[in-house]
Amino acid sequence: MSTVLTISKLTKRYGRITAVNELDLQIEAGQVYGILGPNGSGKTTTLGMLLGVVRPTSGDFSWYGQPASAEARRKVGAILEMPAFLPYLNAVQNLRIVCQIKKLPFAEIDRCLALVNLTERSSDPFKTYSLGMKQRLAIASALLCDPGVLILDEPTNGLDPQGIAEIRELIISIANMGKTILLASHLLDEVQRVCTHFTVLKKGKRIYAGGVSESLGASNLLELRAADMEALGASVARYSQAEKVHREGELLIGQLADGSTVEDLHEFLIKEKVVLTHLVVRRKSLEKQFLELLSQGDE
Amino acid sequence: MNRLFQIEWLKQKHYRTFWVVMGLYYFSLLVVTTGGMALLYWLETQGANFEGISPTIVPLYDFPDVWQNITYAASFIKIFLSFIIIISITNEFSYRTLQQNVIDGLSPQEFLLSKVLFIAVLSFANMLFLAIIGLGMGLVFSTVTDWSSIFTYTEFLPVHFLEVFTFLLFALLVGSLLKKAGFAIVFTGIYVLIIEPILSISLPNSWEAVIQWFPIRALNNLVHIPFPKYIFMEVQDYVKWQELLIVIFWAVALYFLNYLVLTKRDVKG
Repeated sequence: MSTVLTISKLTKRYGRITAVNELDLQIEAGQVYGILGPNGSGKTTTLGMLLGVVRPTSGDFSWYGQPASAEARRKVGAILEMPAFLPYLNAVQNLRIVCQIKKLPFAEIDRCLALVNLTERSSDPFKTYSLGMKQRLAIASALLCDPGVLILDEPTNGLDPQGIAEIRELIISIANMGKTILLASHLLDEVQRVCTHFTVLKKGKRIYAGGVSESLGASNLLELRAADMEALGASVARYSQAEKVHREGELLIGQLADGSTVEDLHEFLIKEKVVLTHLVVRRKSLEKQFLELLSQGDE
Repeated sequence: MNRLFQIEWLKQKHYRTFWVVMGLYYFSLLVVTTGGMALLYWLETQGANFEGISPTIVPLYDFPDVWQNITYAASFIKIFLSFIIIISITNEFSYRTLQQNVIDGLSPQEFLLSKVLFIAVLSFANMLFLAIIGLGMGLVFSTVTDWSSIFTYTEFLPVHFLEVFTFLLFALLVGSLLKKAGFAIVFTGIYVLIIEPILSISLPNSWEAVIQWFPIRALNNLVHIPFPKYIFMEVQDYVKWQELLIVIFWAVALYFLNYLVLTKRDVKG
């Protein structure tokens, strides 16, 4: 795997406030990397530095091993905060400016507009677009140069549920094209759904970095339901490997002892003639992890 | 170079405001540069005369006087052209497209160059327009039309180009500093029409050496007022080297100041 982005000791101070504090990060090709953190934790400032619009106070970073430059930025697709286009120009006219900046042929425009499903509205002025369409145009613009790496800052911010679903699907399909994605978000759920790796920032400091599946993998908590909950409860109580059994509304929750498997429990229940209508292995919740991390960071 | 100019041109060519302001500016330019004869005829109908002689014999459009006359008249309305530049740069801040352009891979230096190239083209088009007006009006009204008379004093055209170019760099700087079109247009108007004139009047005459360095005064000094010569007063009918050098100094200084403003602060506002 090749390294797409290396950040070392990146720092930004505004007067006495340190927005980003000695941040180290390494992103490999093919990763969908989430930067998580509450509002004001330095996510956007970090991306701003990577994109050349905020000057770092100290530290540095490199794209594909090359030092930062306008030249390097032309090969990166990025949106920072809200989509920024000239409101009086239509989608095609706006993207022509981007093509001119990135030294690309105008022929790329149609392909990218089709990819985000904007072809039909491409000759309407940007100002007539809904927020979701603006966001999609921004993604089309970021895809113009067929970048190996895509940077997205809060891409679903302010969208309605349908818009959020559209953008998420788009991100996942782009990730499936093999692109590296760096995604800043304060939405845990979003990062959990689309990212392979994530880091957590708090007050400009990195307090966690790792893979989503490692830290959010399957836990040993089970959710069970049956037509006859009484019988289910009695049977599970007799099963020696089940611990901390309790009811949560319609569900029976239990924890399997180390070394025992779901298969074992299921076999036991079949012998007991209890038929399940619901069996789920709970994943660790990112929300819990996140809040834990943030409170640890306080110490 | 062409790439950078194209970037700015793509932003302007489908912008209605740009074409409206351009239309108004060129209409005003046409009026102030060709309206002289109409004004004189109007004066005649009002009974104005110089000891029995009609004002219409004043040779406003005679070669070679026509060049200084029209460039002097044109310099009064250059402020309208500056609105185009102010709107163009302040739009970049209010729509956050400067930030997006930099993210997309334009360096702040290239961004500045794309604006300056656009300013150069606007100033050049303006000069070309005046050249055509001068030639046309001269060929219609001038009593002399030999080649040497036609081409005498045509240096006022490139000098006027420099005047407009430098003034537009001034407008670009005001726009980058104030970031809001309304503020920047009002400030430019107040500075050009009120602050500098009042300051130069209220300072004692002995300060002339300083006053001539005021940017707007320096620009207006390039082409001196030609009309008093028609009542036999002495006028400066040439471009003084010192005055030209002051303006060249300002053009370089304004470019450099624009450069500092765009490169030394965070692009992200």
